[in-house]
Amino acid sequence: MSQLLQSLVDALSAGATLGLAALAIGLVFGVIRLANFATGEIITAGAYTLIFTWQLGWYISIPFAIIVAVLLSLLMELSVFSRMRAATPATLLIASFGLSFLLQRVYELAFTNNVQTAPVASELAQSISIGGVRIQMLSVATILLAAILLTGLQLFLTRASLGLQLKAAAADFKTARLIGIPASRVIGLSFALSGILAAAVAFVTTVQTGAVGPTFGVPITILALVGAVIGGIDKISGALAGGFLVGFATSMLASWLPQDMSNFKDAYVFMLVIGVLLMRPQGLLIRGRGAVRT
Amino acid sequence: MSNADKGLSVVDLTVAYNGVPAVRGISLEVPAGQAIGLIGPNGAGKSSTLLSIMGAIPRGGTVLVDGVDVAGLPPEKVVRKGVSLVPEGRHVFADLTVMDNLRLGAVGRRDKSGYAEALENVLTMFPILSEFSARQAGLLSGGQQQQLAIGRSLMADPDVLMLDEPSLGLSPTAVDTVFEALDVIRGLGKAVLVVEQRAEFTIAFCNRTYVLHDGEITLTLKPEDANNVDVLTQAYFG
Repeated sequence: MSQLLQSLVDALSAGATLGLAALAIGLVFGVIRLANFATGEIITAGAYTLIFTWQLGWYISIPFAIIVAVLLSLLMELSVFSRMRAATPATLLIASFGLSFLLQRVYELAFTNNVQTAPVASELAQSISIGGVRIQMLSVATILLAAILLTGLQLFLTRASLGLQLKAAAADFKTARLIGIPASRVIGLSFALSGILAAAVAFVTTVQTGAVGPTFGVPITILALVGAVIGGIDKISGALAGGFLVGFATSMLASWLPQDMSNFKDAYVFMLVIGVLLMRPQGLLIRGRGAVRT
Repeated sequence: MSNADKGLSVVDLTVAYNGVPAVRGISLEVPAGQAIGLIGPNGAGKSSTLLSIMGAIPRGGTVLVDGVDVAGLPPEKVVRKGVSLVPEGRHVFADLTVMDNLRLGAVGRRDKSGYAEALENVLTMFPILSEFSARQAGLLSGGQQQQLAIGRSLMADPDVLMLDEPSLGLSPTAVDTVFEALDVIRGLGKAVLVVEQRAEFTIAFCNRTYVLHDGEITLTLKPEDANNVDVLTQAYFG
């Protein structure tokens, strides 16, 4: 029983991390149809910042990592994607692959191919015992962080005028512009929010590993993209739910598969993904096209 | 500005898709306080005309709004010059509430201080929106969504209101409600440009109706032409 509870908390934490990463991708996709693979390099930039500045104190390091992630995200938009407004989603995706590889080489040149290490928030690596169940502090912190960010984002998207504009643009960008919502404002906002979410993911994953290399953000971005697609990347909540589901399933499989099979946990997750896409190609949370109401 | 300058003036408008002309140098006037119709068969260039006026697709020619050239402006800036489009298929934000849709309509207002008054006017014109203000827009009927789409456009306080097939897919009662509202909007001194498939209805309602055929205006009709079968036949079949 205690093992089940422990793995449930771990799975919730993994789901929360991937949910945030998928949301970072989904927010931008909703507005300009860009599934930004280079989100991984924003995560990596945030992680490097944490590693190199942690000794200055968390109150400097964390805000600095957020600023770096947001600025890199906005720079990507200004220098690359804003010049490709007429491009198809497939072309944009390929461009983001190119940008991702380019930034990985830049990180290699700047920080070498070796991993950089630092004890980022090492106190979160400890475990606590609640009613006989040992739970990692990091898992609890991750779930709390995700809950705070999602609540804040939800409040922003439903209460603030800018948030509402972003939500409308993510739902129907052409109509949003036709009713007067400025394109540059909502696109910039979506990239900035994506940067904040990527910084949060960078924090959690850096605490987990304590080591960052040039391809640090790639594995989580691949899983987050997959999650966003199966949840329904067209919808912000779909991307979030899909990311959560993939993270949750991966963690549960790692905990419960027999030792000789757990190496193949990703294969089982992707089988689940194929199954979902065969049954609901539009994504789990996207409604099918119904009859037009008159 | 004299009253004669108010409204929409389109001169020699052209639109092409990959070099294939869709609108071939049309000119039309939509004076303040009048409703002007644009009818024609599918593919005639009606929607392209509206979208190009909004700056949503590239165009040639001149578009003047209250005498001001809006050349090269993106849609969000054209809205701030005083033009609103109610798009074909309504395109309300289905997951947002009726009130949020109306709030978003006000983003393009030139005079932000008039928001409360504009909201009151819209809710008075369309009482159903007041009743369902907290309901998700996607749960409204087609007629109610059309009222919301028009109300959302009015929140921007446009001088020129354009509507792309506002009767599409609506019941006869809903169509009556929509056109009664358009009559009130015209009475408020706004210039109204309506693209429609329902020829007789549009010709009777509008002060003047242009017939668009293969990207060109081939005929200009008056309300009294609404029941003239020969004129209607000529309008659609040449």
